[in-house]
Amino acid sequence: MNETTAPAAGPGAERICGIPKWLLLVAPAAALLAAFLVAPLVGLVRTSLYPGPTSFESTGWSLAQYRDFFSDWYFVDVLFQTFRIGVIVSVISLVLGFPVGYSLARLPPAQRRWRLIFVILPLTLSLVVVVFGWLVVLGRNGIVNAALTGLGIVESPQRLLFTEGAVILVLVQQFLPFMILSVMSVVSQIDPVLEQAAANLRANRFVTFRRVILPLAMPGILSGMTLVFILTISAFITPRLIGGNQIQMLGNIIYEQIVVLLRWPFGAAMSLVLLVITLITITAVNGYVARRFMTPRSREHAR
Amino acid sequence: MRVDLIDRLMQASGLCIRFFVYCTLMLPAVIVVAASLTADNTMAFPPAGLSWRWYSAAVDSPQFMGALWASVRLASVATCLSMLLGFCSAFAINRYRFPGRNQFQTLALSPLVVPMVVLGLGLLQFFAWIGLNQSYVGLLIGHTLIMLPYVVRTLGTGLALLDRTLEEAAQNLRARPLTVIRKVTLPLMLPSLISAAVFAFVTSFGNVTLSVFLGMTGTVTLPVQIFTYVESSYDPILAAVSGIVIAVTLLIILAIERLVGVSRIV
Repeated sequence: MNETTAPAAGPGAERICGIPKWLLLVAPAAALLAAFLVAPLVGLVRTSLYPGPTSFESTGWSLAQYRDFFSDWYFVDVLFQTFRIGVIVSVISLVLGFPVGYSLARLPPAQRRWRLIFVILPLTLSLVVVVFGWLVVLGRNGIVNAALTGLGIVESPQRLLFTEGAVILVLVQQFLPFMILSVMSVVSQIDPVLEQAAANLRANRFVTFRRVILPLAMPGILSGMTLVFILTISAFITPRLIGGNQIQMLGNIIYEQIVVLLRWPFGAAMSLVLLVITLITITAVNGYVARRFMTPRSREHAR
Repeated sequence: MRVDLIDRLMQASGLCIRFFVYCTLMLPAVIVVAASLTADNTMAFPPAGLSWRWYSAAVDSPQFMGALWASVRLASVATCLSMLLGFCSAFAINRYRFPGRNQFQTLALSPLVVPMVVLGLGLLQFFAWIGLNQSYVGLLIGHTLIMLPYVVRTLGTGLALLDRTLEEAAQNLRARPLTVIRKVTLPLMLPSLISAAVFAFVTSFGNVTLSVFLGMTGTVTLPVQIFTYVESSYDPILAAVSGIVIAVTLLIILAIERLVGVSRIV
């Protein structure tokens, strides 16, 4: 947000009953965030430091939950698997999302309208409905199997669900819109004149893409990929329903530990591991983008 | 010429990818609607015939219709709450310089980056401690919290683009500050307000990742109802209920497209 729009007069310039106006405006939201975002997360930290298997009548402090998590190969494997799927999904989203986002940014508004609705609908549609749709598509009696057996490609219905490929496909479909919109917003700020200039200098599309568009679009690409990555590693509905017991990701293991097994301290520790990974990823990418792609002047502007 | 070949290749592959992406994005919704119109008792493909029987079954089911109204009510109240809090926050961030302004802005946008499963667990435990577990209020607080970033961001952009001279003109005509907001600021902000409210509503209406922690036995929203149902079995009534969700979502998006243009909500 641009700070220059704020009045030159400092804080406390306007008061109601002696209380600065900004405080009255900020207080309700700040109270909500402090009470129901910060406090619950602090509560999770406390629970994760209980020594016992449940938090019921627990006392004391210990790092036992974190030790259990990182010393058990099963959980470390799940962590790596989650990471791997996160990277795969964000790379596929980039490859598929870039051409779409780019073309959306360059289309005239009239043609853009319907395509944009196609992109936004999966984003706003309830996640369970999307996953249910994929269950119907990929199920034993689903259309893919019906088509395969109908065309005589396979003899009997194949197991398509509960495979890693299916989980990746569904995650890509869910999070692709974020990538598309991120690329679209950054490309629409690139002046088409730059591409024409490159074309006049006899650069072909590929060279123009690599030397002109890609560097300029990099902040959007990175923020889109980060968003897809953190959404993927914290997914739990999709791995649970599409992956079943075969594909374990951090999100559905946490859900299982707490909702099914009621192992609160351990689940709390795992969710904090997830939160820390998320925050580190975001901070690292934001810092990199700020250092690499913003001149001191634009940095000041963006603040 | 050498360049022509690369140009054509890129053009063709771009076309293929775009076609594939749009098809894949729409596939689940289209398939659900197609499956919901079957006349059969199972969801085998191709459907055995067309009928509305599963839609009338869905409408007659108190389980699903109760959950639908619960979702609509919850989303409406949570939208009003988050719009109120979000407008005040965005207004303060945009118009005042105060200590902790940047930190407050980061905090207001942070429900977006905290993984939903972490927030859900944190709230579930916290509500149990303060006696709000499985309550409507708890669910309402959770939904308001996750809508807040969208509202603050959309309204913040709207306020930043607002022409301040119009407000100053009203002030020069001796309009009182609240009158300026009511008669000048809010009407000018209308497109932003509509898109923020609609996006907040749709987010809450479809949310399952948070509701599944907060509303399993208390207030059951429609997505949670579908989730618990789909875990055990799935039959065409589920497709019909999902079809209703798709219709509601699509209608809202089309309405906003008519009112303010769809590119505003992204």
